[in-house]
Amino acid sequence: MRLFRKQFSALCAVAAIAVLAMPASAQNAPQKIPYPVKVVTLVTHSSPGAGSDVFLRELVRYLQKYVNATFIVENDEGGSGAKAVSRVASARPDGSMLYASSPTYILTSLLSKPANTYRDLEPMANFFTDSEVIYVRAESSIKTVKDLIDRAKTTRGRWGAANPGSLERQAAEQLKIAAKVNAAVVSHEGGGDMMINVLNGTLDMGVGEMEEIRAQYEAKKIRVIATFNGERIPALSDMPTVKESGYNVVLVKFRGIAGPKNLPPAITKIWDDVAQKILADPDYQKVYNAEHLSPHFIGHEQYGPFIAKFAADTGAYLKSTGVIR
Amino acid sequence: MEQFFTAVSMLFTTWVVPAALGGLIWGILGGATPGLSASITMALLLPFTYAMPPMPAIVMLATCYIGAEYGGSIPAILIRTPGTNASAATIMDGYEMNRQGRAGEALGLSLWSGVVGGLFGLAMLILLTEPLSRLALLFKPTTYFGLGILGLSVIASLSSKSLLKGLAAALVGLMISTIGTDPISGVSRFTFGAPDLLDGIAPLFVMVGLYAMTELMMRAGIMGNIIKPNASIRVRLPRLPMMKKVARSQAIGCGIGTVEGLMPGAGGTVAAFIAYNECKRWSKTPEEFGHGAPEGVAGPEAANNTVASASLIPLLSFGIPASNSGAVLLGGLLIHGLLPGPRLFEQNSDVVLGIYVGSFVADIAQVVVGAVILPLCVWLVNRPKPYRSAFILALILSGVYTVHMSLFDVGIVLASGMLGYFMKYFGYPFLPAVLGVVLGNLVESNYRRSLVLSGGDLGIFLEDPIAIGFFIAAALIMAGALLAEWRASRVRKAVSA
Repeated sequence: MRLFRKQFSALCAVAAIAVLAMPASAQNAPQKIPYPVKVVTLVTHSSPGAGSDVFLRELVRYLQKYVNATFIVENDEGGSGAKAVSRVASARPDGSMLYASSPTYILTSLLSKPANTYRDLEPMANFFTDSEVIYVRAESSIKTVKDLIDRAKTTRGRWGAANPGSLERQAAEQLKIAAKVNAAVVSHEGGGDMMINVLNGTLDMGVGEMEEIRAQYEAKKIRVIATFNGERIPALSDMPTVKESGYNVVLVKFRGIAGPKNLPPAITKIWDDVAQKILADPDYQKVYNAEHLSPHFIGHEQYGPFIAKFAADTGAYLKSTGVIR
Repeated sequence: MEQFFTAVSMLFTTWVVPAALGGLIWGILGGATPGLSASITMALLLPFTYAMPPMPAIVMLATCYIGAEYGGSIPAILIRTPGTNASAATIMDGYEMNRQGRAGEALGLSLWSGVVGGLFGLAMLILLTEPLSRLALLFKPTTYFGLGILGLSVIASLSSKSLLKGLAAALVGLMISTIGTDPISGVSRFTFGAPDLLDGIAPLFVMVGLYAMTELMMRAGIMGNIIKPNASIRVRLPRLPMMKKVARSQAIGCGIGTVEGLMPGAGGTVAAFIAYNECKRWSKTPEEFGHGAPEGVAGPEAANNTVASASLIPLLSFGIPASNSGAVLLGGLLIHGLLPGPRLFEQNSDVVLGIYVGSFVADIAQVVVGAVILPLCVWLVNRPKPYRSAFILALILSGVYTVHMSLFDVGIVLASGMLGYFMKYFGYPFLPAVLGVVLGNLVESNYRRSLVLSGGDLGIFLEDPIAIGFFIAAALIMAGALLAEWRASRVRKAVSA
C-alpha cells in the first residue's frame, strides 16, 4: 500500500509539473537551481486535505519551477506527528527527505515521549506565519479588543479556542493574563464546533486561523477584530494587532521545512535561497495572499534558535497551566 | 425548472457520471474493507482528484462517501465486521440473518435501504438546505451532551439479557474513550508517554476487534460450520410486501439521519444506533430484533446513508464539516480553490449542482454496482471455514495496518479481540461497550465544555430546550427498559414458583 501510495504521489507530482510548469518554462525558462538528489520526499503528519498537506502541495508546484528535482508529498499520519518526525529524523541527511514543520511537532514532543522529538530535526527555513485572529459574530457589539476585555470585566467572558493543546488556546489564555480578566476559555475539537458556538452566540469570540474562518468572513457572518501576529496582515491592513491594542501577546504559528540532523551546509543554503525566491514569486503571492498567509522568511541560521525559543515558551506555558509537569 | 434542464444536460455533457460511478465504486470497496472508515477511504482517493477539474473531483469525493457508508454494511452482514463505524448497528440483525442463511436477503435489504436513505438525504439537501442550516445553528454544547445521553440510554434497552452486565460493558467502553488527550485541558491521559495514544483509540478498531476478532476466535474453537451456508449467492432486493414491512423503519432512519447529519460531531454512528433502537420500539414485532429482523437492517442502513447526504448541509452552507468524512471533503474543496459557505451556491453553482446530480446518479447506480459485487462477496464467504477464517483475518489486519501503516493499531485490534473473547465467554454484550467508546468523548467533552461556560453551574443544561427534550427522551427509554426488566423478572419468578 505504501509503495502504491508512493508511486501514486509521484504520478501526481509529475502530472502537476506537466500542467503547471509548462507555461512557465515556455515563457522564459528560468534557470533551475541544481539539487544534489533527484527525488525529494516532503513528509507531513497531516492527512490529505488538512493544514500542512495543503501547504506542501501548493509549495511543490513552485519548488518544481525553481529547483531541478522532483518533489513528492507523503502523508505519514499517526501519533500526532511522531511517526513523521521519526521517519525524517532517521533519514539520510542528503536533502532527499524533509518534514513540514509546524507547532504540532513541538507540542507532541512536549506532551508525550516520542522516539524522536523536535530536537532530532534540523530546522531549515521558515516560509509563513498563519494569521491567528480574534473573531466575533456579525451581530456582536464587540468591535475592538478593548470592548472584548470590558465585556469580560463586567460579565463572565466566554472565549473559544480550537484544540486544548493548541496555540490558539495559548493565545486566549495569555490574553486573559495580560488583560487581568477571568474569562472562561472553552476549548473545542477543531474549528467547526467553535464556529457554530460563535455564530449562535454561545461564545463572545473565537480565536482561529484566518484560513479556517475565511468562508464565514467573506460571507460577512463574522467580523475579525484583531490578529495575534506581530505585524498587521498585509491583505487586512485595517485590522490592528492585539499588541497594538495594548496587550502584549504575540503568537507565531510558523510553517516551514525541517530535515534530519547533520545536513551539509550546501543544502541548507539552497533552501535559504529557494525559500526567498518562491515567496517572491508573483503567482504564489496571489495564492498565499488569498489564504491570508503572511510570508515570514527565516533562514537556516536563525530558524534553529527560533524553534528552540518557541519550544521553551510553549513548554513554560504548558507547565504554568498544569498540562505538563 | 431551468436548473432541472441544466442538471439533465450535465448528465451528458460533463464528467459527472463517470466521476460519480468512480467515486461510488471506490467508496463501496473502501467501505467494505474492514478497518478503512469512510473518511480514510475518501482520504485515499483525495490525491487522485488533485489533477482533476473541480466539479468532477468534488463529485467523486461526495459519491465516495455515499459508497463507503453503504459498503460498510457488506462485511457487517457477511463477516460480522463493521466496515465503517456506522455499520456496527447493522451487525445485530444483518449478521443474524446471514447465520440463518438469509445473506442475500439481508444484503438486498441494506442495499434498498441505502438507496432510500441516500435519496431522502439528497432531497433534504436540495430542497431544505436553507431552513435546515438555520437549525444546525441551534446546537450548543449542552445540546450535544443531551444527544450523548440519549445515545447512552439506548444501552438500557439493548442490553437484552442482563442490565447489570450491559452497564458494566458500557463502563469499559467509556473507560477506553478516556484514553488520549483530555478534550478540555489538553493533559495526556493513560497514554504512558506513547505518542500513538495521544489521539485516543479509534472506535472503529475497537469495534473490529470486538466483533470480528472475537467471532474468529469463537469459531476457531468450534468444530464444523456454525453458519448455515447460503444456498444461493443471489442477492435479492426486497419485494413489495417486504418493502412495505420495512418502510416504517426506513422512515424512522431517514428522519433521525437528517437531524444527526446536521450536528457536527454526531455523525452516522450515533444515528444508526438510535435508529435501531427506535425501530425496535416502534416495531410491531420487537421480539424479532436481534434474531434477524429485516427492520433491524433497514432502519440503521437508511439512517447512515441519509447522513452521508444530510451532512453536506452544514458543510456546504457554513464550511463546517459534520464528521471526519466531511473534513476530507472540505479539504478537497479547499485544494480546488472552492470556499464552502454561503457564497458557494452563487459563485460555484456548477459544483453544487454537480454534487446533486452526482449523488443522484450514485444512489441509483448503487443497485447495479451492488448486483455485480455482492454475489461475489457472498461466494467468497461461502468458502470452507479454514480458508474463510484465514482470509478474513488477513483482510482485517491488513486493512487496519493500511490506515496509518502502524503495528500499534493492529495491536489495538488484537487486544480488543481478546477483551471481546472474555466478554463473550462471560456473557457481556458488546453493544454497550461500543456505544461507550463512540459516545464517551462526545458526552464528556460537552459536559465539561458546558460547565466551563457556566462557571460550574449545572443550571445551564436546563436553559437549552433541545437538550431538555433529549433528556426526557432518554429518561423514557430507560424507564421503559427498567419496566421491561422488572416484568421479565416477575415472569421468571412466577414460572419458577
